[in-house]
Amino acid sequence: MTIDDAVGEPRVRRLGGHLVLGVLSLACVFPVYWLYATSVRAPGDVYSLSVLPWPLSTASYADAFAKNDVLGMLLNTGVVAVFSALGQLLVALLAAYAFVAWRFPLQRLLYLMFVGTWLVPFQATMLPNYVLLSRLGLLETLAGVIVPTLCSALGVLLLREHLAGFPKELLDAARMDGRSSWSTLWLVVVPALRPALAALGILLAITAWNEYFWPAMVLQRSNAVVQLGLRSFMGTEGNDWGPLMATAGLACLPVLVLYLVLQRHIVNAFVRSGLK
Amino acid sequence: MVSGTFVEVAPPLRAREAGVVPASRESWWTRARRIAPPYLYLTPAVVLLVVWTYQPLAQTFVLSLHSWNLVPGTPMEEVGIANYERLLGTPELGRSVWRTVVVILGMLPFTVVIPVLVALLTRRVRGRAQGVYRALVFAPMLVAPVAGAAVWQWLLDPSAGAVNRVLGTDVNWLNTTGTAQLSIIVITGWHVAGFAVLVVTAGLTGINPDYAAAAQVDGASRSQVTRWITLPLLSPTLAFLVLMTVLLSAQWTFPLIDTLTQGGPVGSTTNIYYLLWEYGFRHHDAGLAAAAGVLFFAGFIVVAALLTRLAERLSHHDD
Repeated sequence: MTIDDAVGEPRVRRLGGHLVLGVLSLACVFPVYWLYATSVRAPGDVYSLSVLPWPLSTASYADAFAKNDVLGMLLNTGVVAVFSALGQLLVALLAAYAFVAWRFPLQRLLYLMFVGTWLVPFQATMLPNYVLLSRLGLLETLAGVIVPTLCSALGVLLLREHLAGFPKELLDAARMDGRSSWSTLWLVVVPALRPALAALGILLAITAWNEYFWPAMVLQRSNAVVQLGLRSFMGTEGNDWGPLMATAGLACLPVLVLYLVLQRHIVNAFVRSGLK
Repeated sequence: MVSGTFVEVAPPLRAREAGVVPASRESWWTRARRIAPPYLYLTPAVVLLVVWTYQPLAQTFVLSLHSWNLVPGTPMEEVGIANYERLLGTPELGRSVWRTVVVILGMLPFTVVIPVLVALLTRRVRGRAQGVYRALVFAPMLVAPVAGAAVWQWLLDPSAGAVNRVLGTDVNWLNTTGTAQLSIIVITGWHVAGFAVLVVTAGLTGINPDYAAAAQVDGASRSQVTRWITLPLLSPTLAFLVLMTVLLSAQWTFPLIDTLTQGGPVGSTTNIYYLLWEYGFRHHDAGLAAAAGVLFFAGFIVVAALLTRLAERLSHHDD
C-alpha cells in the first residue's frame, strides 16, 4: 500500500480507525442479520429483541411456503436472471468483438450509441416500451421481463475494454490458419476471455435477480418473480413479520451465497462496472 | 475511451481473392462478404438498442404532444404543447423536483462523505481486517431492494420495531411527513454506500504513492497529505460519484417508495421519478407522463454535461 503505512503510528489512532470502521460495518450488516434472525425465531418470539435468536425454529419458513408459492417465484426469478444474463453476455460479446476486430465506417457513431444509453433514463422510455410489449403480447409474461433487457450497453463497453487488451498476434495467427472470424471468436477469443465473461455474467445475473422496476411494470397483475411476491406480502395492515422475513431472506439467499463463494470476483466486477 | 487500440483483422477471404480479382472489380458478393462481418456481429445489439431505447425515446417525444389513456385501440389525440403547459402548471411538479433535490443532497453523505472516510480508514488497516470491513460494508448492495424495504419496514415499525424500542420513542417513521423522506434517504444510503466505497477504493489505488511520499519527506503531516494531496488527486472519482448520485438517486429510491410509502404521506416522498410513474400507470395519462419524461431526459443531459465538464476541469491535477 502507500509508504506512510510503514511509518509507525500511534496505537490510539489505529484503534480509533477500527472503532469507526467497526461501527459502520455493523450498521451495514445489522439489518441483514436482523432479517435472518427474525426469520428463524419461534412464532412466539418474533417480537423479541434478544440479539441471538433462540430457540431456532423453521415455523416462519413453513408458513411462508404455505401462504405463497415461494418456490415457484424463486424458480421464475432464477429463469429471468439466468436467461437475461446469458442473453446479455452473448449479445454484448458479439458486439464487442465487432468493435475490436475490425475497423469500419460508422464505427464511432455506433459506439457512441452504446455510450449514449447512459443518458437515456428509464422514465423517458417506459411508456412506449410498455405499449410495444402489450402489442407483442408479452405483458404478464417472463419473456416480457427478459427481452427488453437483452442489450446491456454496460456489457458491450466492458467487454470491448477487455478485448482491446487482447494480444493482436493471436487474432493474426488464427487468420493465418485460415479460420473464419466466427470460429476465431469461439475457439480463440472466448477461452481467453473466460474470467471476464464469468465476472460480467455474475454481475448481470445479480442485477437481473434484484431488478424491480421493469418486472413491476410488465407483471402488474401477477407476482411471478420474487421481488413482486415480496411486495404483495408487505404493506397490508398488520404484517406477519416472521413469514415476511423468511420470504425476504429466501429472496436474498442465492445472491448472498454467490457472494460468499465468489466474493473477490463479484467485488471486482462491480468496481469495473462503476469505472468504465 | 482510447480509440487507437483497434486491431484490423482482414477476413481470410480477402487475402485469397486479392490476387485473383483487382480490388475495384470485386463482385458485389465478394465485397459484401468482406464488408459485412462487423455489421453482422453488431446487428443483434444495435437492433435491440434501437427497438428498446432509441425508438421509444423518439416515441416519447411524439406521445408528449398527444392525449392518450394508454388503452390499446383508443385513438390518440393531437394536442400540441398542451401537456407541457399542464405539466408546468401543476404545483406537484415543482414540489416533486424540490423533493428530488432534497433526496440527492441527502444521498451525498452516503455516496461521497462516508465512502471517502471508510476507504481512507480501511487503507490504514492492514491484513485480513481490511477485506472483512470491505465485505461487510458492501453486503447491503446485494440485498434485493424489496427485501431491504421489508426488513426496514420491520425495523421501523411504530409499535414492535427494533428502532423505536431501542430508542424508547414511538415515531411512525414511514407515515409521518417529516421522517418518511428521511427514512427513504437513509435506507437508500444504506443500500448503495458499499458500492461507493469500492469506487473510492479503486480510485485511491490508482493514485501514485510517490506524491504522498515526497510530501512526507518534506515534513507534511498525515492529515496534511490527505487534505492537500490525496483528496485533490481523488477529485475525478468524487466527481464521478456526484454525477452518479445526481443521475441515479431518484431511480434508487423507486422500489423503496413504491413498497414503503407509495409517495406518501400526503405526497411527501413523491419525487420526480415517482410522479412520472403515477401519471403513467395510476392516472393513465400517457401524454402528461411522456411530457414529464422528455423534461426529465433534457434535465439529465444538462446535468451530465455540466458535471462532465467539471470533472474534466478537475482531472488535470494528475498530469
